[in-house]
Amino acid sequence: MYDAVIVGSGPAGAFSAYALQGRNVLILDVGYRPPKVSDLEGNLYVLRQQREDLFEELIGSEFEGLHNIHKRNISLKLKSPYMSYIVRDWAELMPVRSGNFEAVASFALGGLANAWGAGVFRFTTKDLAGFPIKLADLEPFYDEISNHMGISGANDDLASYFGAEPHLLPPMRLTRLASDILDRFRIRKAGFERQGITIGRPRLAVLTEPHNGRAAYQYDNLEFYRPYNPAIYNPAFTIDELAARNQVTLHTGYLVHEYKEQDGGVEVTARNLSTGSYEKFLGKNLILAAGTLGTSKIVLEANRDYESRLPILDNPLACIPLFRLSRIGASLEIHDSALGQLNLIYQDANSPDLLQGTIYGTTGPLRSDVLFQFPLSIWANLTWARYLSPAMALLMLFYPGSNDSSNYIRLKPDGALDINYEWKSNQVAERRLIRAFRRIGYFSAAALCQYPAMGSSLHYAGTLPMKTNAGCYQTGADGRLYGTKAVYVADGACFSALPAKNLTFTIMANALRIARKVRTSLE
Amino acid sequence: MADDRTALESEARHFYALFFRRPLPGPVVERYVAANHLCFPALDPKAREMVATIVTRRLDAEAIELALRLRKGSRVLTGKIQILFYLVEVRSEYYGYFINQAPGWWSAVLRLLGAAVRTGWKCAKGLYLVWRYDFV
Repeated sequence: MYDAVIVGSGPAGAFSAYALQGRNVLILDVGYRPPKVSDLEGNLYVLRQQREDLFEELIGSEFEGLHNIHKRNISLKLKSPYMSYIVRDWAELMPVRSGNFEAVASFALGGLANAWGAGVFRFTTKDLAGFPIKLADLEPFYDEISNHMGISGANDDLASYFGAEPHLLPPMRLTRLASDILDRFRIRKAGFERQGITIGRPRLAVLTEPHNGRAAYQYDNLEFYRPYNPAIYNPAFTIDELAARNQVTLHTGYLVHEYKEQDGGVEVTARNLSTGSYEKFLGKNLILAAGTLGTSKIVLEANRDYESRLPILDNPLACIPLFRLSRIGASLEIHDSALGQLNLIYQDANSPDLLQGTIYGTTGPLRSDVLFQFPLSIWANLTWARYLSPAMALLMLFYPGSNDSSNYIRLKPDGALDINYEWKSNQVAERRLIRAFRRIGYFSAAALCQYPAMGSSLHYAGTLPMKTNAGCYQTGADGRLYGTKAVYVADGACFSALPAKNLTFTIMANALRIARKVRTSLE
Repeated sequence: MADDRTALESEARHFYALFFRRPLPGPVVERYVAANHLCFPALDPKAREMVATIVTRRLDAEAIELALRLRKGSRVLTGKIQILFYLVEVRSEYYGYFINQAPGWWSAVLRLLGAAVRTGWKCAKGLYLVWRYDFV
């Protein structure tokens, strides 16, 4: 019998394993890995000019890069040939049916964090309202993870929203456009702050200096195309390191279906995907870290519950293009990244919601990915993409997860998840932000805003929320699932609320906290 | 299957000639055919007939595509042209079509204005062609 069985290898699984390293721990996961990438070194745009044909690398021999032409839209990051392992087979292994929620899940080692934006923001006391834990409960774990993976950024005007990081690496280099926005914001800072807008450097789990044996970031623009960039933290790095040092046992190729508590432990049933047979594993504790959707499915399946509707949270998104007219026709800055350039916080005086935005450049995707999204002829779109790209930044605005009781997830008898999530922007925040940016020379219009479908943020949470007095399908402050003795929920499923922030850093810290408690109970 | 292949090759040549002035590379044609088999394995008869009409009558596919896209009509033509753009974009000789290599504000603004005018013209032409040939 294992001391603990951990299901999943994403952010929650990795830091649960990190907490329990050295104990008799088993990690069960499907665990797909990226293909060997031998020939994609250097800067994307230099490669595109120098190599006659990058079909294999950017489109793929199986035409993976054409995914969105003939299948349901997924993030551009998830469809390139060397990155498509992240979403391999997910729709077959965990089918989801929904008319308004475009869910994505990953069965890759490291989970969806193989393609994350690497934004690491601590939750504040306000963010944790509704949680049965306090910021002080998480802070030591934030610090520990920060040291482990390395975070670049600055303790600037956003520190009061993102929390002070004691050991930051130098911030990422800014593009001319991002640098210009930041300079103009600083000149008119008082005016911006009166409108509730603060702009600063992002906190990224991206190394700007070598750290723990990993190399620094190279500004090569390959985030959309090359997996396992050592400069960008991936939970698979931690899992592999622990497994290599025999601190944990890793079994990949297993899809966990359900669990059953019995005397002295938990029996976990998983399907061996290579043989098709069902195998059982025994642990004194079970830590569910399969991602919010995966964990919810396992819990409902274990209870044979095809009726209950669990709550679900997701960050609605708005995408606002910003144009600096003086940069029309400039050269594209090719030594850039597809990572966030700046972060923005918007707090409307008349609304309790605090919104967070990330400003991106436009050098990540291929032009063909976006050519047909604007209401112009193809040739005109190509011309606009060529001359406007250097003048364009994208503000991705995250709204907090909505606690609307009509949003739900449930398991159907055929094993598919049924999800409903309704949300519609009233465009008030978008219009105010557009007006504020216009005052510093950046133009946009509400008509140009795009609203990706719900589910696109990949920030899913809150299906088995932590409560002070947990009830059915809820978890206690220690992450233990109500009605069980040793089943813990360590991923986003146990979040009590979802502020407008990337939740990954808090998933990691909370998983570390929960698994440390499990370790203490074992000792 | 041979007929299908010939039709797809003709499509590729027709669409390509609307946008690019250099000779169409052989690998792009091969990949266009294969990509269509994957993305559009079974076109409905109406869409098949529309594409065949555009190619055999040498109609302005850019104009028709714009009209259909704005009217939220069939996405087949958009998809086929998008496939072609993906296949050429990853080749170095087309880099300049996608990425600006001659910086200059005035020339860029003039081209953008020209592109906007072109859109107006293509939209009107496309709406007429869609009506004339009853494309949906």
